[in-house]
Amino acid sequence: MVERTRGIDIACHGILILGGLLVCLPIYFAFVVGSHTVSEVLAIPPPWLPGNTFFANAAAAWEKGNLGRLFVNSFIVAVGIAAGKIAVSLLSAFAVAYFRFRWRMLAFWLIFVSLMLPVEVRILPTYEAVANVALPLQWLVDALDIGRWLGIEVALDWNMMNSYGGLILPLIASATATFLFRQFFLTVPEELAEAARIDGASPLRFFWSVLLPLSVSNIVALGIILFLYGWNQYLWPLLFTTDKTMATAVIGLKDLIPRSDTEPAWNIAMNAALLVMLPPVVVVVALQRWLVKGLVDAGK
Amino acid sequence: MNLTKRSLFTGMLAAGIAAGGVVPAFAQQRVEIQFWHAMSGVLGERVDEIVKRFNDSQTKYAVVATNKGNYDEVINATIAAYRAKKAPQIVQIYERGFMAMLLSGAIVPVQDLMTEKKKQVDFSDFIKPVASYYQYKGKLMSMPFNSSTPILFYNKEQFEKAGFSGPADTWAEFEKQLYAIKSKGAAECGSSLAGDYFWSLMENYSTVNDQPWGTKSNGYDGLDTEFVYNKTRLVQQVTRLQKWVNDGIIQIAGQGLSPQQLFTSGKCATYFASTAAHGGIEREPSIKWSATYLPHEADLTARNSSIGGATLWVMKGHKSEEYDGVAAFLEFLAKPDLQVWWHEVTGYVPISNTAYQMAKSAGYYKDHPTREIAILQLNRGTPTPNSQGFHFGNYTQATFALREEMESVFANKKTPQQGLDDAVRRGNELLRQFEKLNAGKY
Amino acid sequence: MPAPAGSTRGLKRAHFREARLPLLLLLPQLLVLLLFFFIPALRALSQSFVLTDPFGNSVQFVWFDNFRRLLASPEYRASIGVTFWFTLAQNALTIVVSLVLAFATDRILRGRGFYRSIILLPYAIAPVIAGILWAFLFNTAVGPISFVLHGLGIDWDPNRHGIDAFLLVTFAASWKHICYDYIFLIAALLSVPPSLLEAAAVDGAGPLLRFVRISLPMIGPTIFFLAVMNFVYGFFETFAIVDAVTHGGPGGATMILVYKVYIDGFVHIDLGSSAAQSVLMMIFALVLTVLQFRYVERNVNYDV
Repeated sequence: MVERTRGIDIACHGILILGGLLVCLPIYFAFVVGSHTVSEVLAIPPPWLPGNTFFANAAAAWEKGNLGRLFVNSFIVAVGIAAGKIAVSLLSAFAVAYFRFRWRMLAFWLIFVSLMLPVEVRILPTYEAVANVALPLQWLVDALDIGRWLGIEVALDWNMMNSYGGLILPLIASATATFLFRQFFLTVPEELAEAARIDGASPLRFFWSVLLPLSVSNIVALGIILFLYGWNQYLWPLLFTTDKTMATAVIGLKDLIPRSDTEPAWNIAMNAALLVMLPPVVVVVALQRWLVKGLVDAGK
Repeated sequence: MNLTKRSLFTGMLAAGIAAGGVVPAFAQQRVEIQFWHAMSGVLGERVDEIVKRFNDSQTKYAVVATNKGNYDEVINATIAAYRAKKAPQIVQIYERGFMAMLLSGAIVPVQDLMTEKKKQVDFSDFIKPVASYYQYKGKLMSMPFNSSTPILFYNKEQFEKAGFSGPADTWAEFEKQLYAIKSKGAAECGSSLAGDYFWSLMENYSTVNDQPWGTKSNGYDGLDTEFVYNKTRLVQQVTRLQKWVNDGIIQIAGQGLSPQQLFTSGKCATYFASTAAHGGIEREPSIKWSATYLPHEADLTARNSSIGGATLWVMKGHKSEEYDGVAAFLEFLAKPDLQVWWHEVTGYVPISNTAYQMAKSAGYYKDHPTREIAILQLNRGTPTPNSQGFHFGNYTQATFALREEMESVFANKKTPQQGLDDAVRRGNELLRQFEKLNAGKY
Repeated sequence: MPAPAGSTRGLKRAHFREARLPLLLLLPQLLVLLLFFFIPALRALSQSFVLTDPFGNSVQFVWFDNFRRLLASPEYRASIGVTFWFTLAQNALTIVVSLVLAFATDRILRGRGFYRSIILLPYAIAPVIAGILWAFLFNTAVGPISFVLHGLGIDWDPNRHGIDAFLLVTFAASWKHICYDYIFLIAALLSVPPSLLEAAAVDGAGPLLRFVRISLPMIGPTIFFLAVMNFVYGFFETFAIVDAVTHGGPGGATMILVYKVYIDGFVHIDLGSSAAQSVLMMIFALVLTVLQFRYVERNVNYDV
């Protein structure tokens, strides 16, 4: 900016403070409610300041929602999605950008098509796919009537419900990360690959010692974004876990929300909400710079 | 040496069996029966008690009871499991799911199973409304387990404060009472709207007042049935309810608020709910409450109300010995003393006449008069084609549509007639689909 | 070495010419895509042409009947309407608020990092938690904001009035997404050439005028990009908010399309209708992507 205008500057700070308050308002009230007892919460008028039962409520929330176990699940799923997606995408992006082979364009388009349809658009069939991953094979077997040849009934069943695999794999099935890495690879100087070829290095060597180190900042940024994405997943854990001990923290939280047939324990629910949002918030606050860089780069 | 070894072995075996800690390899493993149900909380504990009693009473079978969530979740889990060829042996399905289960091709009719396994269950002993709901071609398709009917709970003190001894018999008089209670300040609101009001205040309004819900005797006589409740006195009832909501006589509990609590905390003077709510209400002694029959229209005779709740269905695709176990468990459940116990601890109605008489002669209803209202209401008068039950396909979806339309009515976005018309239109579409898919099967 | 036209698109000039290795490298991705993308998508397509009972024992081929019924159904069309207004409302709200915040941040010298840290927080919060938090604030019985509204004489009740539920879901969705737009807008504002702004200042234009006449047009493409991203967010990722807070009600007031697919498929087990809805959404998503590439010409990122 060019000139100093006190008026506008103060107004800007005012706006930002207002914005900050708006952002924090729900979190503040979650803290207020999460630190009172049920009867205090139900009182009219409702409490405006925090109470003193925060830690007791936290213990109750942890207990009631089995959060210990669920946090472990969420962590495994989030890390699994981040690591899985990044690993798979790095390999695919490398293949599509650095190799000339017969099926290159076909592979490229197959991957590209998957960008067009977000998972939410094919909810039910994806559920079926997870319920029996071997279903396509079963169709093949039925179509070819292999059972009759072998004289036995062939029932192929690979059920991924209530498993980490089921929670992680369907979410790796989109090519956003592949395209990000591909784009990045396209900006890598040609000389590096040329030098590798001249030296007689194998492609994998090149990938491991040259490309990967260059991609670290992208990997970290994407890792953060994917970790958050995985931790905050809702629809898929909802559908794929019928066993309460395999649910993620976010789903466990949903079960704590007061419904009409239970006691309105909003204090426990809000407390649990704070607990569940804590790990992602810590990640965002600590790794802000990487995150912002990652988001903005992804949009380019 | 041989002799010593053998005697040593026998000695150890005997010791092991005596200690109870060793199960000899040749002993029978119990046949496992999976039982999926929707009873949570205290009800769930009662179910666990029943299962334990059965398991302890014999050594051949072991029933494993799992609470799969609410009724919707149980039927969805059953469908998913069935498709994956991993269905349980016994499932508890709500009354709404009757047609879906009947024509699914996935069940074994209970009466057939019990006859085949030569179990002593007197199927003619089940109380009429229960039997008539779950029968098809004269045979009972599923085993009655937890049946209820809606009754009217009321706050005695608040009625007295407004100058009434109790709720009136007719809707017109009852309305006057509720308005008086509110205007005199005896209570903040006249009635708390239960989550299943479409059952207690609409479906049962129709059965009690002999109003058809659909053609063909509410679907009993054919799949080509059509909903007609937008052309009956139900329109009057919905208009009445809408007025009550607008005037603040009815309170709709929002998210996180329990309608039952609105009643037990003294906020609302009445609560139309299942007789099974007895258990929960009895545990809140802060108000002086009682219960009575549902009101009826002044110019119509009061008929019987219809049942709600669920029954136990037996799924196909299991081994013969498992079915033996299923039959044994169902026979156990049908025993009158177990039924009396279940009735007393939960508030569900006693499902057989014998059980009812047992409870009566033991003086139970003298000490708990409100417990008898449900069964008296169910047995009141002669059933008509409109009061025997509801046999509609895709009924869960149709009920959802009705509830959505009622939400619009209560928000004054649609008139009662419009709302019911739309609900009927949507419901009929679902019925036609069901008819098309199941042509010739009913 | 001359290459056939087209097949070197996106290929590094210095590349490798192995034949098997790339296929191996691609295998994980393609396998996962096959099992969890292509096959389900085709399955949705095939299921949309049949009428089936929940247990799967009767299946009838009905051609386009499911589609016909869907498009004729007032409820489906209402759902389209709800989705349209919802995505529009939270889009507008998000962009306006984040634009104001970005402008303010760009103006001030000190504290940028601090404000940014605060405003970025909702990014970490799951949509469902955002929904729960706002549902609580606006809850008729215990919510503080609701308390204030009732005190002002407003009959606020998201369980009864569809518009209240709609507003609630819109606020929650917007609140969660403002940070995303904010980050992009700040970066975009930073990339506006200072020389242009200085020149305008010399000519006498105040900060507000400079913003409106120079900065805004220059960040136009970013705003457009964000509008698309917001739309995608509102269309698909708000499922959690609706499921946790309003369940599509009351009276269908928050029944967005993606939620309807879930309800019809999973709660009502009307597989044909749910599949048909999925197919329609797929067609819509495809059209959207094609349009995006035409006018935006950059790669699409849905869930990142």
